[in-house]
Order: sequence, then C-alpha cells, then structure tokens
Amino acid sequence: MAKSFVWRTVDLIVGAVFILAAFTKLFDIPHLDLHQFRPGDLVAFLLGFLQQLRFADPMAFAGDIDNYKILPWTISIALAFYLPWLEIFCGLALILRRLYLGGLSILTALISVFLVATIAAKIRGLDITCGCFGHVSQHWNFSVHLALDLLLLAALILLLLRPGRDFRLA
Amino acid sequence: MVKSSLVRQVLVVAALALVPGLGQAIYFRDKVSWQSPVPASEMVAVAQARAWGGNAIWVDARPDDEFARDHVPGALSLNEDRWNELLPQFLAAWSQEKKVVVYCSSQSCNASREVARRLRNEAQLKNVFVLEGGWEEWLRSNR
Amino acid sequence: MKTHIFAFTLSIMICVTARAELKWDQTSIELHPTAADKQAIGHFKYQNSGSKPVRFKSVRTSCGCTAAQSQKEEVPPGEKGEITATFNIGERTGTQVKTVTVETDDPEHATTVLTLKAVIPQQLEITPTFVFWGQGEAPKPKTIVVRAAKDFPVKHLRVTSSSPDFQAKVEETGSGQFKIDVQPQDTKRPIASTLTIQPEDSPKIFYATARITNAPAIQ
Repeated sequence: MAKSFVWRTVDLIVGAVFILAAFTKLFDIPHLDLHQFRPGDLVAFLLGFLQQLRFADPMAFAGDIDNYKILPWTISIALAFYLPWLEIFCGLALILRRLYLGGLSILTALISVFLVATIAAKIRGLDITCGCFGHVSQHWNFSVHLALDLLLLAALILLLLRPGRDFRLA
Repeated sequence: MVKSSLVRQVLVVAALALVPGLGQAIYFRDKVSWQSPVPASEMVAVAQARAWGGNAIWVDARPDDEFARDHVPGALSLNEDRWNELLPQFLAAWSQEKKVVVYCSSQSCNASREVARRLRNEAQLKNVFVLEGGWEEWLRSNR
Repeated sequence: MKTHIFAFTLSIMICVTARAELKWDQTSIELHPTAADKQAIGHFKYQNSGSKPVRFKSVRTSCGCTAAQSQKEEVPPGEKGEITATFNIGERTGTQVKTVTVETDDPEHATTVLTLKAVIPQQLEITPTFVFWGQGEAPKPKTIVVRAAKDFPVKHLRVTSSSPDFQAKVEETGSGQFKIDVQPQDTKRPIASTLTIQPEDSPKIFYATARITNAPAIQ
C-alpha cells in the first residue's frame, strides 16, 4: 500500500514537471506581483493571471533548439510547435494512468536525447539556453540543468522498471 | 503482446499531441519564418538595397555619436534613445512606395531589428528591411 | 630522498589542484523598471571559489545602450565582487535583452555571458502611431486605438493636435480602451501633425503622427 502510494506520488510529480515545462514553452508567464496577493482574492488573482497569459513566440523556443546546431531550422520550428504538446500528453498519461507506458517511454526517450544533445553542445562550446523550461530557466547554470535532467531520467527509468504492470498495458 | 501494446500506446500519444501542435502551427503560420531564423523577406543585401536607388530610405539605428562619426550618405538617424524626437523627421521623408532599409553596427547588434520591428508594428509601415551585415557590410562594399 | 619525492609529489598535486574558478550567483537577471526610471541596473555578483586569482581580460556589452563595469581587475581567491550592468532605457519599449560578455584568464571558464533582461512597462499601447493620407485622397477619418495596461488604469485621455489642419476626437470604448479619430481638413498639401496623447493625472506624454504624404496613397 505504502509502495503503491510512493509510486503514485512519483507519477504525479514527474507528470506535473513535464506539463509545467511544456507550459513555460507555450506561454509567456505573466509577472506575478505577489505583494498584491490576498488569500481571499485567489479567484480574482488567478483570473488576472489567465487574462495576461499570452502564447509565447514559437521562434524563441525554435531558436533554443536551433542553438544546438544539430537539426535544420525547418525541423527546429516544427519541433517547437510539437514538443510542448507531446510533453503535456505524456505528462497527462502519467498522471491519469492512461496510455501510461507509451507516455513514459516517450518521455524517457526525449530526456535521454536531450541530455546527450546538451552535453554535446557543452563540449562543442556552444552558447545554449537550455529551453527545457522555456526562457524561464535561462538563468540556470549548466550544472543545475544537468542535475535536474538526470534526476528526471532516473525517476523515469525507475517508473519503467517498477514491478507490476496491470494498468500500464491498458 | 507487451511490445505491440507499447508501440500502440506510443503512436496514440504521439498522434494526440500532433493535433494541437498542428493547430498552433496553423495559427502562427504567418508569424513565423519556416525557412530561416530571420524571415528572409525582412532582410536585404547591400547590393539589392543600393539597386533600389532613390526608392530606398536608409535608416541608421546606431547611437547618435556613431551616426555623427559616419553614416550612409543621405541616411536618417532613428534610434531608440531618442525615438519620439527622431521619428517625425523620418516620417516626413517616408512615402508609401519607398523601401526602408535599417542598419546598425553589425549583424549581432539588435538595434536595427528593434527599430524595424517598431516601424512595422507601431507605425504599421510596409516594406521595412534590415540590412544584411549592417554598417560593416556597407563599408566593405564601398571599398 | 623520500622527503624530496614527497615534496615533489605534493607540489605537483598542488599545481594540478590549484585552479581559479569564478562562481556567479546569477548569470541572468530580470529587471522591472518603473515608467519613470531612466536606467535599469543589474548587479552580477561573483566569488572566486578557486585557489588562484582570476583576472578580468575584458568586459564587453552587446550594445551601446548598456555599460558594464567591474569593481576589480583581479579577484584573489575567496574574494567576492560584482559586475554592474547599466542599461539606458531611453525611449525603448517592451522586453529588452542585453548581454555582457566577460573574459577572464580562467581556462575552464574563459568566457561568461551575463544576460540582463529589462521588462519596460508599456502604459499605453498605441496602434498605429502613424496615420497618413495620400495627396488627393478623400479626407476620411482614420482611427488610432489606445489600450491602457492592466496596472495603469486610465479614465480619460487628452489628445491635442499640433496643427489646426488635423482634428482629433477621443472616444472611450470601455475596458481601458480608447479610439482616436483623426481627420484632416483636406489632403491637398503635404502637411503633418504631431498628436500629443496624455492620460489624465499622468505627467507622461505619448505621441502619434498624422501626415498627408507627397505621393497619392496606394489603394
């Protein structure tokens, strides 16, 4: 029971992280003035936040992918449109436990490819903004990015290898 | 059985994500450049810009001191330090059939792109171009 | 003999492990200057966490509008310092991203790019800022839409034309939005007017331009 709870928590956290990552690539996150927040005004605060939400410029994320200098520009911009939605659906697959194995496999593949590309870029001395959390994460240094991505990969591999496959083949 | 179920699930998730991705691509189809990082239609090479002759208005987006030192003959200064002050004199020289060529000190400097963006978005002018290679390219072509 | 070998080995180890390393608190800073600010200043703090001094070879900015200064030319081991980047806002709008490239004699991190992002508040969004008629074109009114930012409520807008040849009428359309209908008396001569747009209770002035251009308008 306890083990099941732990696995469920890992599913939810990992799923939420990827959905959040996708969100920051898709939207320009409005600047939140938390000094003005009052608990009783939560609904108004959230509505204000949603009203200010705008689609991010896809050229920005495409530029981040292009900076790795692996893919042609046309593929970079196509991926800029596709990848965030793929992350959202895979994250939802983990949270809702539908198409679970498919979502998990895709996320594991994505983060593995991404890790290899990031390390390769670093070795080549390329100036990259990670892009994994949109431009929100561009002030994080390389070590922080690497640590977070390795942690995510470890969690995904654990989820892949965990015993019991009842819901995962549904 | 596990393998075929995995493949099926991967394909379903990938296909589901394709729908909103395609929708977003269609929504942004006119706002992004599909061929290169900077829309080709927004850049112009020195040779082409010079071929426009009197149909081109040259705009120098560099700071005042750089403009004062040297600039493309006949160019007007329009930079973001004194945008409100300099814009009217540019607009006085502009007319609809003219092509606007904005340049700054090198391709890596963003000033010309910013000035071009503001002329397109705020003043809603058409035919606004950024000079490929900037001031340095113009100097090189003049040697 | 053993002492010599030990001392030699130790000195090799010290040379190998002695290194410079400049650690930055942040390499990217986001600033939110107010409408009244003329500059946005970012302080990039660092510390030499290595055992050798670090010398700054150069500190270059991406544009002339940003100046960057280092407090020190050389940073001894363990010492802290900062590079101050000052971005002159001028009459820029929107989000501005400027970089400062720092070169040091640390072979592991020879070049560091510091990013200063300034989100300049746009109190009024004026679209378009330029309306024009060709000579001979029918002098019909053209509309400029003014949108106030969410955190900058505007009740009334005062619009004046610098030339009596152009009339400007303001109408509030609700939700912080206004429309200004600009109309010339005629389009026979190439004349121009600067429209001064001032929100009530605000000293800040915004501008738009109205003009009759030389050539006929392309329909």
